[in-house]
Amino acid sequence: MEERKKVTPMYILFLQVFSISIIWLLFISVNFWIINLISLSRYLQDAQNATLVISIVILPLFGLLAGILTYVFVGLRKGRNPN
Amino acid sequence: MAKWGMVIDLNKCTGCGSCVNSCRMENNVPNVGDKAAQAGRAMDWMQIITEYEGEYPNIRITHIPRPCFQCDNPPCTKVCPVYATFLNEDGLVGQVYNRCIGCRFCMVACPYSAKTFNYSKPDFPEAYEKTLNPDVTRRMNGVVEKCSFCHHRLAIAKDVARFEERDLREEDYQPACAESCPTNAITFGDLDNSDHSVTHLKHSNRAFRLEEELGTEPKVYYLRKEDR
Amino acid sequence: MNDLRKDPDYPLYRPILESDRRFYWAVGFLSVIILWALVMYIRQLIYGLEVTGLNNTVSWGFYIINFVFFIGISHAGTLISAILRLSQAEWRRPITRMAEVITAIVLIIGGLHPILDLGRPDRVLNVFLYGRLQSPLLWDVTAIGLYFTASTVYLYVPMIPDIALLRDRTNTKLKWLYTFLSWGYQGTERQKHILNRAITILMVAVIPIAVSVHTVISYIFSMTLQSGWHSTIFGPYFVTGAIFSGTATLLVVMIAFRKLFHLENYLKEIHFQYMGMLLLVFSLFWTYFTFSEFLTGVYGNEPQEMDVILYKFTGPYAPYFWTMVVCNFLIPVVVLSFKKLKTIPGILFASFAVIIGMWLERLTIIIPSLANPRLPIISAPYIPSMTEWALFAGGIAVFCLLFLIFAKIFPIISIWEIKEGREEGLDEAKERLDSYLPDIIVSEEEAT
Repeated sequence: MEERKKVTPMYILFLQVFSISIIWLLFISVNFWIINLISLSRYLQDAQNATLVISIVILPLFGLLAGILTYVFVGLRKGRNPN
Repeated sequence: MAKWGMVIDLNKCTGCGSCVNSCRMENNVPNVGDKAAQAGRAMDWMQIITEYEGEYPNIRITHIPRPCFQCDNPPCTKVCPVYATFLNEDGLVGQVYNRCIGCRFCMVACPYSAKTFNYSKPDFPEAYEKTLNPDVTRRMNGVVEKCSFCHHRLAIAKDVARFEERDLREEDYQPACAESCPTNAITFGDLDNSDHSVTHLKHSNRAFRLEEELGTEPKVYYLRKEDR
Repeated sequence: MNDLRKDPDYPLYRPILESDRRFYWAVGFLSVIILWALVMYIRQLIYGLEVTGLNNTVSWGFYIINFVFFIGISHAGTLISAILRLSQAEWRRPITRMAEVITAIVLIIGGLHPILDLGRPDRVLNVFLYGRLQSPLLWDVTAIGLYFTASTVYLYVPMIPDIALLRDRTNTKLKWLYTFLSWGYQGTERQKHILNRAITILMVAVIPIAVSVHTVISYIFSMTLQSGWHSTIFGPYFVTGAIFSGTATLLVVMIAFRKLFHLENYLKEIHFQYMGMLLLVFSLFWTYFTFSEFLTGVYGNEPQEMDVILYKFTGPYAPYFWTMVVCNFLIPVVVLSFKKLKTIPGILFASFAVIIGMWLERLTIIIPSLANPRLPIISAPYIPSMTEWALFAGGIAVFCLLFLIFAKIFPIISIWEIKEGREEGLDEAKERLDSYLPDIIVSEEEAT
């Protein structure tokens, strides 16, 4: 048991790093999407303030979720038994 | 800035349906066939709504030709998720067929049921194919469409007027329905221009707009039917 | 392995370790239904919405009804589980996991329904490229996207200790998956602290998200000027209905798994009594909202509004409307108020009634308003086609299938929470109870 825990196989480590990057990729793409929508609404002169308000609500929430997951993932790995 | 609008005199309308048919010819509106029409999928941009009042035999029938009202405050454009329907620079409600995702939210939001949806691939009989209007796009399956006040005619009229270096006259831009109405029930023009007859007609004491209380500011006025 | 069999919680591991022939039969049967739905959908992709029963006046039908219905069911989960966790209800322990799984699975199904409904599904990316946040549909896209992310995270994070248990104590083919998903969780103090903190933040964040999602879905309807839809009550009304149908679904799922996996020892009578109480409360809430919605309409007596209301009360939709009232009000209230009827079969019956009733509620909200346009237009009745029925059945089949697969891979009842309940919950609850009670103050005079 002890042996196995010390050495996490490479592919699992890769999967874990991959999943964290997926989360942040999602967050970044949502950001890009919202920024695209805001610039579109400015260009079209189309309900700019509504767009801004909605994006102000959405973005921090996505960020919060991504943050929590990263916190859990990194925290769990760091919090392992030293031996 | 012209404010294109229409006044329809219900006294004069006989419900003959020539506006409906000329509109179909002009705008390449597909004929969906009996079966689909019975299933409620007829695509007419101009539709004649018949209102019955009273009991037979003392019945009073009013024919109300209904184009798109090109509202100044359109409920349909607000809800479109992709800007496929919008108030264009001429004050008309435009449809972008190539962008429409077919969610039909605008149809649901329109209080006048002025929009129709292409439930099947538009299919024209072979003979009809040759008479299609080259100025109007043929729509594809799965998009929403509606009356455009023959917007393509406005574009042409503007070009001609610019070429001849003069202002746009009332007779330069008339949609197909107004042009073809045999009793001249449909008058079309600039609602803000006192040279145009619609401006006087809309101030008639018979003038009203449908569901005006919704605050949609329709640009189509009706002249109330009077008993004679 | 052998020591695992001696574990008192072995019944929770059993579905994962032991294969059951019934499982494969169920998967096969559900796959056939899904395949049928898939064929029908491909047919719809080829021919367009022609294959549905929709028309120009009733332009939204089954797909939107099921969209609202499924998203409603998804409320059960996360919201109930978050509220129970937040209020430290000790009886939540065997229920939360199932509730959260319902949310995650149903959200996938419900969230895909608008795409089924599109005339041009090939252009769905236009929503991202040219979207306008002004449209309630975009609010939906963002809210559902957010809710889906939040509820999967909220399902996953409290599951980490269980995955770690599976990693350490079982030896299946999926060991790599458990190793990957458990992030090296060993149950050290620091790790426990981090998890608890994350769960606390999540459950506080998830409640407003869940409420906002269904409010936003009701906005699709109430933002239009259609009579019967343009109502300020729709937000809370939909949220109530959503929790109502969600609770019923959760009860059905609980009863089903109790029977299938022999979990009688975990899901006891008392859990059903408490959940039944919740169902009863929401039934009354729902009735109250429905009553005030229709009373304002009838009293105002606006002709347009009355057309829609009479279409439901006495018109073509009367059978559906009154069945809905029976299913959502009469049956649950009668069954759940009398102790004799409030048995597990009784609760199952009431839950099924509520699920059917809530589906009928979505039906009677959506179709009658569309079938009564403001202008006297001749409209054809809406008769759902085979395609729409197939996709409805397919949606339910996907739900069952994904749930079964989930239960095959992960424990359906949170093992560590049960364990924690045994080891710490008892003392904690006693301590908490003590802190509620007035302290016995010995006055100084008596003391001296």
